[in-house]
Amino acid sequence: MTTALEPALSVRQVLTLDRVLAGEPEVVAGAGHLDRPVRWVHVAEAADVGVMLSGGEMVLTTGVLLAGDPDAQAEYIRSLHRAEAAAVVLGLGRAFPAPPDVMRRAAERCGLPMVVLHRPFPFAELTEEVQSRLVRSKFAAVSLSEAVRTALTGLVTAGAPLQRMLDEIAGHAACPVVVTNLAHRVLATAGERSAVDDVLRDWERIARQAGGSEGDGWIRAELGGRGERWGRIVLCGYRGDDATGRLLADRAAEALVLHRMLGGSVHTWEEESAQGLLTDLVSGVVPVRQLLPRARAAGLPVNRRTFVPLVVPDGDPAQLDRVLRLVGLPGLVAELADGATAVLLSLARDQDAEALAAHFAARLRHETGTRTTVAAASPRIAWDDVPGGLREALHVAEAAADAPADEDRPVLVRLRDVHLRGLVRLLRDDPHVQSFAERELDGLLYGADVEQELLPVLRTYLATGRNKSRTAQLHHVSRPALYRRLEAIQTRLGVDLDDFEQAASVHIALLAHDAQQHREHAPRHRWEHDGQRHGNTGRLR
Amino acid sequence: MSRVIRAAVFQTAWTGDKESMIQVHEQAARDAAAQGAQVLCFQELFYGPYFCQVQDKAFYAYAEQIPEGPIVRRFQALAKELGLVLVLPMYEEEQPGVLYNTAAVIDADGSYLGKYRKTHIPQVPGFWEKFYFRPGNSGWPVFDTAVGRIGVYICYDRHFPEGWRALGLAGAEIVFNPSATSRGLSGYLWQLEQPAAAAANEYFIGAINRVGVEEYGDNDFYGTSYFVDPEAQFVGEVAGDKETELVVRDLDLAKLREVRDRWQFYRDRAPGTYGPLTAP
Repeated sequence: MTTALEPALSVRQVLTLDRVLAGEPEVVAGAGHLDRPVRWVHVAEAADVGVMLSGGEMVLTTGVLLAGDPDAQAEYIRSLHRAEAAAVVLGLGRAFPAPPDVMRRAAERCGLPMVVLHRPFPFAELTEEVQSRLVRSKFAAVSLSEAVRTALTGLVTAGAPLQRMLDEIAGHAACPVVVTNLAHRVLATAGERSAVDDVLRDWERIARQAGGSEGDGWIRAELGGRGERWGRIVLCGYRGDDATGRLLADRAAEALVLHRMLGGSVHTWEEESAQGLLTDLVSGVVPVRQLLPRARAAGLPVNRRTFVPLVVPDGDPAQLDRVLRLVGLPGLVAELADGATAVLLSLARDQDAEALAAHFAARLRHETGTRTTVAAASPRIAWDDVPGGLREALHVAEAAADAPADEDRPVLVRLRDVHLRGLVRLLRDDPHVQSFAERELDGLLYGADVEQELLPVLRTYLATGRNKSRTAQLHHVSRPALYRRLEAIQTRLGVDLDDFEQAASVHIALLAHDAQQHREHAPRHRWEHDGQRHGNTGRLR
Repeated sequence: MSRVIRAAVFQTAWTGDKESMIQVHEQAARDAAAQGAQVLCFQELFYGPYFCQVQDKAFYAYAEQIPEGPIVRRFQALAKELGLVLVLPMYEEEQPGVLYNTAAVIDADGSYLGKYRKTHIPQVPGFWEKFYFRPGNSGWPVFDTAVGRIGVYICYDRHFPEGWRALGLAGAEIVFNPSATSRGLSGYLWQLEQPAAAAANEYFIGAINRVGVEEYGDNDFYGTSYFVDPEAQFVGEVAGDKETELVVRDLDLAKLREVRDRWQFYRDRAPGTYGPLTAP
């Protein structure tokens, strides 16, 4: 990007340099164009100087060849204008004692800044000063460009996640950085959290501004390749000069395109974004209110909505997202734990949340050809209640997963469907419950043969409502053999399973034992692994 | 006073056969109704491939009578069952050899309200439509449905501002623009023309485009269906560019009055000076 690599001083900046001030400069024309960039400074007395320029030059002259010829003076100015010179500086004294009116009027008409120096002034000092500054700033730009490129390329090749890349970019830019897809959905952000939150709060309005000017420090670069655009990166309120901001944005865009080409698709970024948000919601580390602008920016409708948290065991996020689109339901999808994918539906207030959750679950089965049972929390009207809802849905999913496999598993289960199993799940870490289970099942938990034979028999016997023939059938044993095993169980436990209370007590202990075992074997949730990290950043990942 | 209706459009890929295509659309109607949608429009030539990528008279067989044909009858029953206004873009045979690119409009009680026949027929590579369709002769009908006054403007029509205006003058509150348009050709116009038409004519537009590449050519249909309001703002997000998607949005029709009270385009038109537009 040659424009980005050519930062320049403005005419105004040149005029404020100490050495220039010593010449007592006065702007006599084109005062409205002093922000023009000065690419180079050129001393020229030739009347046809215009043909020697290539644009962006500040031309210094004493005007010795122009004195006494008004036509040549006007043509001199016009030729500078045609050559797109940045400004003309006329040293008074040698040819002109005062600013020549013809040149001043011609410059004003062209909009060419014309500056006169009232004190004699060695032009060489000015050229040296400006050229060295320009060279230094060019060198700084090249060096920044190289530094950013090296850092980002290093991250890409190291397989760093998108967030790490954005943190690096935000570090250079010192302002919030936002990556969106073409629908203006925010996929990732970086920068100081409160500044990012301020940007996201107003995102809807910002995103709808077509193009946007760069004068206000909003610098956008398109992400895309092979003729297809798929997103953009925005530096939000960059405080440095535009040229450096553009350079940063362009380097960042190049690196992100490379990152995506090497590392996957934009859908992955969308998944990562939803995952960061839902993980922060369920972990409770970030205040729920603070997550509202993020949710809105991620494309979830949040005003006057009913939220329905769902958990799909072993759900593939991409597939769930496809089904959501197919049935036209707005929602976010993310894997929250190994084997547990959350779907947060956002429905209009007048819609029947339970019916639509069931509709989604049924369509999911139909589209995937699986026997998936979706766990649903009760609908939440208030955004603040969504984290509780997500935890409820996870709890229901785990409790339902413990239930015996059943041919007629429902498409949707809720808290009320998991009964005692749900309660035991909630209490499984309580030491009293743990010791109760140990005490009740003591005689069966230890011994080589037991896990293989007696415990499963007891489980089935209780689960079938103490139905001996069904239990025998399910274990493929004869009834006399079953009787012998039940007898052994009763002896070891010291209970009478025909007594309802004793049987119920053993059943509860067994549910608690199974819940505890399940916890030990189950992977921990993502927010338990690294909730602190999300909490510290408070951003979309 | 708000007057909110729930409207839907549906974009999908060619399944490979007519019957399964019809079933996909029946399911979409059920999905839309489950959400409380009151009106749904399908994509152009909804139950077929976009066969205009080639010129083959075998595809004339996709045409049927409107409303006497089986597809209209089938969807009349479904509209009645679901209480859903349906806009069905189809291939119409008026009589052998007289074929149109048409949309039938079915009211929420299943009654057939009428049809619009596509007026502007393209004939360019990948879109050989003059081979298949006569230019429409239905004028600019607006249908008084259970949810509001609906117009239809099909695909290539959208490049001509005159029809949009005629529908606005006839009182349309929502105009559906079922389309089949491909990446590279019109991508840069797709999010420009309909929002501009919505702003100029101060009504809602539902734009639908199919997705995917079909076996009859290289056209890559890019979806991105959407609703746009009379201020040219998208209502919610634009659909994806590759997958089947049902777009359900709440439209507040009261916005028409609000915007028209602000911008008096209909008052300030100067039809007396527009004679050159209709000169042959």
